[in-house]
Amino acid sequence: MAAPMELSCWGGDWGLPSLHPESLTVMAYAKFSGAPLTVNTINNSWRAPKGDVPVLISEDTVISQPAKILNFLRKQKYNADYELSAKQGADTLAYIALLEEKLLPALLHTFWVEAENYCSVTKPWFASRIAFPLSLYMPGKMSREALNRILLTRGGPPLYSLTEVEAQIYRDAKECLNLLSKRLGTSQFFFGDTPTTLDAFVFGFLAPIYKVCFPRVQLQEHLRQLPNLCRFCDDILSCYFRLTVSGHSPAGQDTADANLQKLTQLVNKESNLIEKMDDNLRKSPQHPPRKLTTLKLAAGGEGSSPLNRLSP
Amino acid sequence: TLCFQAFLQMCNLPIRVVCRANAEYMSPSGKLPFIHVGNQVVSELGPIVQFVKAKGHSLSDGLDEVQKAEMKAYMELVNNMLLTAELYLQWCDDVTVEEITHPRYGSPYPWPLNRILSYQKQWEVRRKMKAIGWAGKTLEQVLEDVDQCCQALSQRLGTQPYFFNKQPTELDALVFGHLFTILTTQLITDELSEKVKNYSNLTAFCRRIEQQYFEGHDKDSSATVAARSAKRSLLR
Repeated sequence: MAAPMELSCWGGDWGLPSLHPESLTVMAYAKFSGAPLTVNTINNSWRAPKGDVPVLISEDTVISQPAKILNFLRKQKYNADYELSAKQGADTLAYIALLEEKLLPALLHTFWVEAENYCSVTKPWFASRIAFPLSLYMPGKMSREALNRILLTRGGPPLYSLTEVEAQIYRDAKECLNLLSKRLGTSQFFFGDTPTTLDAFVFGFLAPIYKVCFPRVQLQEHLRQLPNLCRFCDDILSCYFRLTVSGHSPAGQDTADANLQKLTQLVNKESNLIEKMDDNLRKSPQHPPRKLTTLKLAAGGEGSSPLNRLSP
Repeated sequence: TLCFQAFLQMCNLPIRVVCRANAEYMSPSGKLPFIHVGNQVVSELGPIVQFVKAKGHSLSDGLDEVQKAEMKAYMELVNNMLLTAELYLQWCDDVTVEEITHPRYGSPYPWPLNRILSYQKQWEVRRKMKAIGWAGKTLEQVLEDVDQCCQALSQRLGTQPYFFNKQPTELDALVFGHLFTILTTQLITDELSEKVKNYSNLTAFCRRIEQQYFEGHDKDSSATVAARSAKRSLLR
């Protein structure tokens, strides 16, 4: 069995395990491939990140970028892609490049450059998770790096002002979302029924846009108009991260509640019948008295375990 | 430049290639190459494709939505990996920079302007590399990335004549442009072209497009002469 692996990354909020796209990608991949990772979220301690987050530590090796971390996990035999054909592997690389070129600038802009978003949401959130006095410096540094990256990769000569660059990158991001939606279509994951590296990357990039509540949300609104991508994010969150999908799909929650109620009613009926049977048995002298557990209307997984106990 | 020529040849549009020293300044976006049609000037692949489409020629009409998405994704992969690797090799690898890039870039200008301009360009490129995280990469890692990209392209191409079966598209033009440049440009080491040569279907693809679109136009001699001189200048 492989040595225990530790992942240091940014923590989460708003229903997400992490706010940072790259950390989210690595976490999602680990869940898909079944790699046993202990996740350490960066909190207010002096073991502050030295810039490269997420970081995987396994025995003596320290690996920092998502692509390299995923490669390392694959070498440790945690491979989510073994069912893919060569062409699908090639498609994965191509779509990841598309995400990085077209979607990432807008994502960085929404989080770090858009003034209202940055001041009211991003900066306080990150500052609260970094130790003082680094918290005064790090968010500003991350914001400057994001702006730098956007300007250097997209701010070419015909786009002379920041507003023009912004308009272009949001156009590109919306086009990218449309392309992803078309590619996903009606299937559950990008390559059939099992999630792969591409699903991890897409989830990592889309989920922060989808879930984090910003004052300026043009990208989120565009994403909401693509229901298959929203469904994709919600599925992964509920299946792999066991977090409740609250607020954004009330219809889904209602049906889940209704199903749960029906289930507990059935289970209660069963247990009543069995109680009666038991009483009859107890009246006969040969059988010792037996205790029965009482059922409570419990949420989530607990509802299913009494059912398991009662099944023959 | 070759990807544009290839694209325009594939659309069956006649072109004339002209080399000018102040080309970067003539271009509306500062990027080369650009096309000059009537009284309109358009630069960069994306706008040129749209311009040509608006005039009624398009290579990707036969594709459905999913294929168009794939094509765009692959074009980004080529831009992301191959273009950045080419830039890295030209401007961040010290040996290549000294021996080849500085002389070539500064050649139209007198001293000291040639040195100043090439240092400026080098500084710009290095800044960009740092922003996207390529500054920490060694030459081996860059070559490995190129190899991965070529492997992906090779697997996608398979045994088909073009990337989307029978008809050439913008992706074919783009890939041809980059691969042909890699294969024919002489650098200090041949490692980059060796990586591409490992994939025989990619070299066959390049040769096929070269034969079909660049040597088949015997009557339009200016285009072939220009293409050959472009080749010669690359080999310098």
